[in-house]
Amino acid sequence: MAKPNNKTNFFSHINSFFKQKYNQLMTMKRSREALSGLLLVSIAVAFNMFFGYFAALFAVYLSFFKWDYLGPMQFAGLYNYQVLFNDLVRGFNGAPYFLAPFFTGLRNILLYTAIVVPTQTILAMILAAFANQKIKGVQFYKVSYFLPAVTCPVIVSLIFIWLFMKYGFINYIFQFIAPGFAPDWINDKNYLLYAIAIVAIWGTSGHFMVSFLAAMQSIPRDIYEAAMLDGAGSIRRFIYITVPMLKPMIIYVVVMGLIGTLQMFDLAWVMAGPSGGPGGSGYTMALDIYREAFINLRPGVAAAKSMFLFSLIFISTYIFQRKFKVMPR
Amino acid sequence: MRIKFKLSRILWIAFVYLVLSIFALVYLTPFIRSFIASFMTWEQASRFPPEWIPSPFTFENYLKLFRLELFTRWILNSALYAGIIVVGNILFASMAGYAFARLRFPGRDALFSALLALLMIPVFVTIVPNYIIVYRLGLIDNLFGLALLSLVNAASIFLMRQYYLSLPQEVFDAARLDGCGPIKAFFYIALPLGKPAIGAVAVYQFLGAWNAFLGPLVFLRTPENFTLPVGLSFAFQRSMWTEYTPIIAGSLVAAAPTILLFIVLNKYLIRGIVISAGKG
Repeated sequence: MAKPNNKTNFFSHINSFFKQKYNQLMTMKRSREALSGLLLVSIAVAFNMFFGYFAALFAVYLSFFKWDYLGPMQFAGLYNYQVLFNDLVRGFNGAPYFLAPFFTGLRNILLYTAIVVPTQTILAMILAAFANQKIKGVQFYKVSYFLPAVTCPVIVSLIFIWLFMKYGFINYIFQFIAPGFAPDWINDKNYLLYAIAIVAIWGTSGHFMVSFLAAMQSIPRDIYEAAMLDGAGSIRRFIYITVPMLKPMIIYVVVMGLIGTLQMFDLAWVMAGPSGGPGGSGYTMALDIYREAFINLRPGVAAAKSMFLFSLIFISTYIFQRKFKVMPR
Repeated sequence: MRIKFKLSRILWIAFVYLVLSIFALVYLTPFIRSFIASFMTWEQASRFPPEWIPSPFTFENYLKLFRLELFTRWILNSALYAGIIVVGNILFASMAGYAFARLRFPGRDALFSALLALLMIPVFVTIVPNYIIVYRLGLIDNLFGLALLSLVNAASIFLMRQYYLSLPQEVFDAARLDGCGPIKAFFYIALPLGKPAIGAVAVYQFLGAWNAFLGPLVFLRTPENFTLPVGLSFAFQRSMWTEYTPIIAGSLVAAAPTILLFIVLNKYLIRGIVISAGKG
């Protein structure tokens, strides 16, 4: 600070005086700003902390207790995890569905994920590649591919149950593609999971198509032009330029796909029913968590199973992202 | 040479249209087929091979739906639930998004990361504890109790914050110089300027709430309080009608708002996803 011992320093004296006042005002304003900021986020933060973090911690706590919602909670150590583990071991040794429901759900969901995630990712990429052409009326096609994604999964399942009937529309189409192939999709334990997978792919590929479209439109045009000058055809351009440039988006779509499929619930609830359909062939881990919590009234076991589901989702998405070295978020 | 090039170009475009149209058929046929069948008798709709022209043409399926008093209740419940969620998200997410983007306060970044990290926790982890919490609050079987859970979504906060970050800082500086406090600036500047993002939040939250299934299934107990998806799956599993056509008609009624909304707003919705995916 300049000292006001000289006439020439008069202005700097005034200056410093105002600076001081200004700083005072600013700290006041800043604390006011901090207060308003905290006030404005308070509701959002409170709700999310309570129904998000508190609930999640409560779930961890619950997974160590034996309880039936009514009586006192009993500390049970790892008992709930033991139940889960025994279920998996029994299932692994070939126990039927009603003795090893969680194992059945896990096995089904792994198969389902292995079908749905790659198919919907590749399909979405193909759809995006065709919908990215500069031709007339392309918006109509985008809208029709995306329409299933805005429709409620439960509604979609209800419509598809009818289409998948033994003498339904889908088997009618299959007459022309594969004569003699007419399974009773919903009631046949060998086909139920595939029927659900088809509905899931139909319902979500349009959504991911839009993600790919966004990524494709951000690829610089001159790369394509250079490749065109080198005489690369459109299919080769797609394989050698588009696909590598889309890598971050592919990872994003696969991760989102994994998160969605591993906790699939709605489609199975409607198409297979709450108990998983014939032979438990449409049973999922999510259905089993629901059953433990709200039908068997064992919230502790349900919480332990939900921890397993969370770890499965977390580890699989983590490994996938690590392996491909690009963080999507 | 030139003619050959043109010919191959035309062939390519024809091929693109062919592929696009085949896919369009795959994605649209279930909707078209069920729309037509909703005017058929079940006897005709289940015929093999399938028929395409309703004869007799009947509104009986829709009449059957609305003769069931529950069905209108379900529509109203769905509308009420979606309305609460939309209003809550617009209000609280724009407040929080604005504060996270434009105000400085202690713990801001930590709080925001904590909110974002919530998106990683699967709903099945929190649903059992939340059931117990809502039960203790005495709000089970109550749309408002259910709505508490998704009243302000982390994704909406994220969207609002990104939008407010994209606005020029000068707008807010000007307001501050005019002596406008942060809260006043929110109501007079941020809220009106935030309209495009608020619209996006409203549409996404409407779609999410209208289509929600797990939450309503767990938290609503009596059929009078069900929303449409839960009600229809209940009607189907209890075989309320001997025929399947009322279920098809009901599905179309339930899907109609989202389909119409999407057809009207398709450009904005698709762009919204493009923005969030690109930023994400």
